[in-house]
Amino acid sequence: MPQEALMAGNVELAANLNPRAEAASILESPMVEIDRLSLYYGPTRALTDVSMSVPKHRVTAYIGPSGCGKTTLLRCINRMNDLVDGVRIVGSIRVGGTDIYDRSVDVTELRKRVGMVFQKSNPFPKSIFDNAAYGPRILGVKSRSDLEGIVERSLRAAALWDEVQDRLGESALGLSGGQQQRLCIARAIAVEPDVLLMDEPCSSLDPIATARIEELMLELKNSYTIVIVTHNMQQAARVSDYTGFMLLGELVEFGVTRELFTNPRDTRTEDYITGRFG
Amino acid sequence: MAVNTEALGAGGPASPARPLVVSRARTRRRIALDRWASRLVVSGGIIIIASILAILLVIAAEVYPLFKAPTASLLGTYRAVEGASSVPAPGEGTGVDEYREIAYAVTSTGTLQFVALKGQGAVPPVPVPALGGSAVTTVAAAGNGRHLIGTGDGRAIPLEMKFDVVFKDGVRTVTPQPVFGEPMALDPERNRPVRRLAFAETGTGPVTVAQVGPTELALHSVVEKKALIGPSRREESLKTLAVSVDGEITALRLDGRGEDLFIGTSRGWVLRYDMRARERPTAGEAVTVGGAPDTPITALGFLIGDRTLVVGDAQGQVSTWQVVAPPQGGDRRLTRIHEFTPHAGPVVAISASKRDKGFVTAEASGQLHISYGTSGKTLLSPRAPAGDVRSVVFAPKTDGIVTVDGKGLWSQWEVDNPHPEITLRTVFGKVWYEGYSTPEYVWQSTGGTDDFEAKLSLTPLIYGTLKGTVYALLFAVPLALLAATYVSEFMHPTVKGYVKPVVEIMAALPSVVLGFLAGLWLAPMIERIVPGLFLLPLVLTVCILAAFVAWRGLPASVRGRFRTGTEVFLLLPVVVVGAWAAFALGGLVEATLLGGNYRGWLLSALGLTYDQRNSLVVGVAMGFAVIPIIFTIAEDSLANVPQHLRAGSLALGATRWQTALRIVLPTASPGMFSAIMIGFGRAVGETMIVLMATGNTPVMDWSIFNGFRALSANIAVELPEAPEGGTLFRVLFLAAFLLFCLTFAVNTIAELVRLRLRERYRYL
Repeated sequence: MPQEALMAGNVELAANLNPRAEAASILESPMVEIDRLSLYYGPTRALTDVSMSVPKHRVTAYIGPSGCGKTTLLRCINRMNDLVDGVRIVGSIRVGGTDIYDRSVDVTELRKRVGMVFQKSNPFPKSIFDNAAYGPRILGVKSRSDLEGIVERSLRAAALWDEVQDRLGESALGLSGGQQQRLCIARAIAVEPDVLLMDEPCSSLDPIATARIEELMLELKNSYTIVIVTHNMQQAARVSDYTGFMLLGELVEFGVTRELFTNPRDTRTEDYITGRFG
Repeated sequence: MAVNTEALGAGGPASPARPLVVSRARTRRRIALDRWASRLVVSGGIIIIASILAILLVIAAEVYPLFKAPTASLLGTYRAVEGASSVPAPGEGTGVDEYREIAYAVTSTGTLQFVALKGQGAVPPVPVPALGGSAVTTVAAAGNGRHLIGTGDGRAIPLEMKFDVVFKDGVRTVTPQPVFGEPMALDPERNRPVRRLAFAETGTGPVTVAQVGPTELALHSVVEKKALIGPSRREESLKTLAVSVDGEITALRLDGRGEDLFIGTSRGWVLRYDMRARERPTAGEAVTVGGAPDTPITALGFLIGDRTLVVGDAQGQVSTWQVVAPPQGGDRRLTRIHEFTPHAGPVVAISASKRDKGFVTAEASGQLHISYGTSGKTLLSPRAPAGDVRSVVFAPKTDGIVTVDGKGLWSQWEVDNPHPEITLRTVFGKVWYEGYSTPEYVWQSTGGTDDFEAKLSLTPLIYGTLKGTVYALLFAVPLALLAATYVSEFMHPTVKGYVKPVVEIMAALPSVVLGFLAGLWLAPMIERIVPGLFLLPLVLTVCILAAFVAWRGLPASVRGRFRTGTEVFLLLPVVVVGAWAAFALGGLVEATLLGGNYRGWLLSALGLTYDQRNSLVVGVAMGFAVIPIIFTIAEDSLANVPQHLRAGSLALGATRWQTALRIVLPTASPGMFSAIMIGFGRAVGETMIVLMATGNTPVMDWSIFNGFRALSANIAVELPEAPEGGTLFRVLFLAAFLLFCLTFAVNTIAELVRLRLRERYRYL
């Protein structure tokens, strides 16, 4: 496919590539375009022919039962699957128009543009400050004042600043689970990524902490494109603008969240959201 | 199992829960089993701890007697049969047999008196024959029961005291057998009384020195010239020697080789005469002994071996002296070695131990001091019950002391001091041994002859252990830690699956094999390539850096073809080429810069000698023994760093190197630290490699081209030859105790640090 066409925002074309998502008619400018992506773990096929596009500055959610491949799909977007041995990928993913599986792509460059928040909060065994400053530091920011600015900005953006500003030097491992997850978000956005991938960010949090993260997502989508994987259909309904339903490695249906939940086109989607299986 | 697993397996949330039918007996049995299992585990742990403590206890029990305080207990006082005049003659006319059954003394009235010390039947006194009515004026001793009795008419009568020992019905009977020799005239013209005597049985014949006037000596020597055919000729010579001395002669001593004659004077000087030329004794140096001037020398004595002179003076000062060359060079001269606890009054008698460098000194008031020559320490101070001690003698086995006082009262002590030479200072500090010009650390467990004592300083061995350990760790720690980091963080998992077990198998290699290879194969090989070996790290680094620069220069599309983790195969040829280049360059450097012979260059430029079996060889060989341990533990601790931390870092755009350096290594640092400590512990205790690949020379220098002797190797070398219960045996146990403590401390520190740091990362 000619890249220029996509760059020009030929959304119709992109949408047309996905036969199942046609009706969603996403007319917004895409940030991530996934094109006929299949992924194999050795001989096993984990993703089958997935095509979709993620619009800019929106929250896009993947839902589906366990093992349906939604996390795998998410991890394809910043090539975290590279770390798994024996992975083979067919098809392409473009982030901001660049094919990220091209040989000339530096994977560390890609990951700076596509940040990630994991299911289990994983702060480094360092101080809160050092956690938030980790990304800028590996990018080569050395000046203490610059780092302080970045840390404050990202902690504020992650709605954590007020809680931790007095104890930036303390170990991040002493924070509560929700705070740790927000610290991970702050850490991810400290390098100013274009896309923020969130892999079930609230699955190990209590409802209050979950609510705070969800609020945060709604704020963050003004600056970042957010892709979230969730088990929790209510969460997808609450926070996402677009939702994709996956089953057995296939993207069954993708569309505007409200439509997908109220008027699913595929019976499998309907069965899932009405709780007939899962 | 009590629970029906099939029922559980089938039962999801959908199926109704079935009641679990568990018989009461089964439950009880299960609980009992559980209890027994936990008891078994607990008792296993306790047994291990107990056996380690037991080992420690056994070692400590073997070491303890070394440092046990010596004791001397008065066994009793005795009187000779005929109480008439049993005052001992001046000098050294007293003795005791080796079972301490019979003590004897030559009295001034000319009898040889005996005292039964263990209740054996009384032995009648024996008159000294050929005395001709004159008195006994002095008696000299030369060991092994040989005495020389000086008379009031200028003659000397040899006496050899032998004891017949008969065992009958388990009862030991000791019968003294005195043998008197032919009297010899020492002052034939004037028949002046012999004031003092000194004599020696030298290799060429007996030499006797007698003081016949205040400053006049008579020298009597017999030279037996053995002829090839016919009877040997006996040449006797007698001459007088006027000693030019201030005051008069108060003490006289001739060493057993007949080489040095020491003369103590009433003005506090000790003069040395060189007697090697029998016909012409030459005066050597004279030294003042006492702190206060003009304090008469009252007693001279030799420690066993006749190298150390013990000097006692009228003020009670006791010191030891040796004829040594000064450290800065020059002639040998009499040098003060140690000062001992002084007596309150004049020192009247000195008796040296016949087994070690101990001696006992007596003052007239009855105070005795038992001292040890090498350590310079006064160990015990028993006191004679009645005072006025005239004579003192150490029993042949050094297990007792007998004194005789002016009223003819004998006293006997039992001395328990099996290891007098061992103090913390002699084991760890510098000791001034006989024949050394300065105090030194020396390990030399046998002296060749009984005259020289064993030198048991553990310091050179501790030094050797640390030296070997340091060189082994210098080699092993960087390699093992870098290898662990590489294998854990960068190597392709498939390759890692082969590499790790292979390295772990290295740990199973018996160290005797490693030592054997190191000593017989590696050492000669290293000897050939030393310059190249030292260039190797430098050249390899340059080669690898060059390879990296070249790699970065390749277009990304080419680099992208190689999967991460497979770079090692690209690097292998670089390493091989680098090694080859280093050795080629080494030969070149040796030929051009080092004058063609690095060993000569080392000696002339750096003053270092090259031993074939040296610390470099040990470092490499022991490194190979230690690398697998450090590698395995370090790799495990790296692999234990949670994967989600790596993912978190990589997801932020960090490279694998940044992730390894900033996240993985700090998190794994406790494990890395304990890996190093456990490697240290292993290297400290390693025996076979250091035994076989070093020369086992207990020298103390840090040169990498020299060998050393480690504590562990020393135990292995010496224990088979150490008599059980002896000093060497116990000192070797002390070495084992040190090793035990060292490894115990190192492992404990490793564990404590690991636990502390693990606490820090508990929430990961």
